[in-house]
Amino acid sequence: MNFFRRQLPLLITLVTGLVFAAQYYVPHPASEEMLTNVTKWLQIIGGFALVLGVTSLFHIHAVKIRRREPGWGYSFVLYAGMLGTIVIGLWHNGKEVVNGTMTAFGWIYNFMMVPLQGTMFAILAFFIASAAYRSFRARSREAAVLLVAAVIVMMGRVPLGEYLVPLSGDLTQWILNVLNASVRRAILIGISLGAVALSLKIIFGIERAYLGGGKE
Amino acid sequence: MTFAERMLKIDRRIIFLVIGLCTLIPLLYPVGLAIKISPEVHGVYDYIESLPEGSVFLLSLDFDPASKPELYPQAVSLLRHAFKKNLRVIGMTLWLPGTGMANEVITRVADEAGKVSGKDYVFLGWSPGGGSVIINMGQDLYKAFPTDYNNQPTKDLMVLKDVKTLRDVAYVVSLAAGTSGIETWYVFGKDKYKFELGGGCTGVIAPGLYPLLRSGQINGLIGGLRGAAEYEVLIDQKGRAVAGMDAQSATHLAIIVLVILCNIFYFMLRKSQGRTGQQPG
Repeated sequence: MNFFRRQLPLLITLVTGLVFAAQYYVPHPASEEMLTNVTKWLQIIGGFALVLGVTSLFHIHAVKIRRREPGWGYSFVLYAGMLGTIVIGLWHNGKEVVNGTMTAFGWIYNFMMVPLQGTMFAILAFFIASAAYRSFRARSREAAVLLVAAVIVMMGRVPLGEYLVPLSGDLTQWILNVLNASVRRAILIGISLGAVALSLKIIFGIERAYLGGGKE
Repeated sequence: MTFAERMLKIDRRIIFLVIGLCTLIPLLYPVGLAIKISPEVHGVYDYIESLPEGSVFLLSLDFDPASKPELYPQAVSLLRHAFKKNLRVIGMTLWLPGTGMANEVITRVADEAGKVSGKDYVFLGWSPGGGSVIINMGQDLYKAFPTDYNNQPTKDLMVLKDVKTLRDVAYVVSLAAGTSGIETWYVFGKDKYKFELGGGCTGVIAPGLYPLLRSGQINGLIGGLRGAAEYEVLIDQKGRAVAGMDAQSATHLAIIVLVILCNIFYFMLRKSQGRTGQQPG
């Protein structure tokens, strides 16, 4: 059993990892055909991941409702919303509009999901303003630098700021293009090198956490 | 309790009210301050402007309704520009919750421009996989999307004539609110299939994409509502983004004033507590 649980997945990871790392550099039609087919598998697996996610969500909230955990009412709302949307969505074949007429599924999407998500995002502005007032203080030299940079960028990104302080627009461009880009690039290079190292560790079986913690 | 202490512990509902008014009043009484065009937005505009009629333009609307205020106006402006230039438009999304909205914006702007689905434009919809969808489209577009959003076989569509893979697409623009988005299109798409790539994104993630811009990995970037407003000015069709800039100006200024005030009160408090040997909060 150990072969199926450990050796076989490690072997599959090693072979596919090496083959598809090499595939990038081999433009032969056979190699391209192999990539086409495998990415199709990936899309299918992606579809299953969606089913898995929905199943897991149903399971977690079913447990909450059964045990009457604090806030179980919200889980019930989630169940009602999700099941209702799935049933109506399937009924209308996933279409929001049929022959120019909005379906019930389209109504749920346009008049419930769109405004609800928009509202959630919009209230962030209020909380950011409140948090900025409470915590954006020049407690140290570093915090003062951050504060000045933030004020300049906030001024330079809006017409009123550029109107009041004409230099703020150019200063903002400089901060974004030079200071920000160089620091972000350094972070990106670090992350990428880390990703390469982790990929090599997974391919060569050094990192095995993805196999799960089952008994040997 | 000193005045500075009282001001630092001000009821947050007052701040909410200030921000609410700063958003509402400019929307009701717009000022219409001049909007300066940045080179990043010009990059996208100039490239679309340089494309010959009939070129294939792919717009990937990689966002959900939460980012609608910033990215929807960008999508409208880009589509108006593309249809005005008589480009063949392919629409799609890598974000499942954005599918209905993406279909709506493409259909609405196409109707406005008198364009016909299947002939002048197509909306492919969503397919699972993120990066693997892009690779699949780069290998064989018809395998990735055998039918469009309206269940029409993609092979029969006039708009996709001579378009077999992403290599046949002249320009791709991803309007992204996160991952999958512009970086995904670069890593899995442009790097291998050699099309030109531009981007549009929410204001929050824009600074993170500047390294891609500076290195030429993307040829332009429309950042947030400001970027959308700049694009509206460029195509001379002012819309929601330009209208929203006054509100954004006022709220930015309000936050700057609040931050300055909070620091004044903080230093006042530090000074007074320094005298008594206490530490300010």
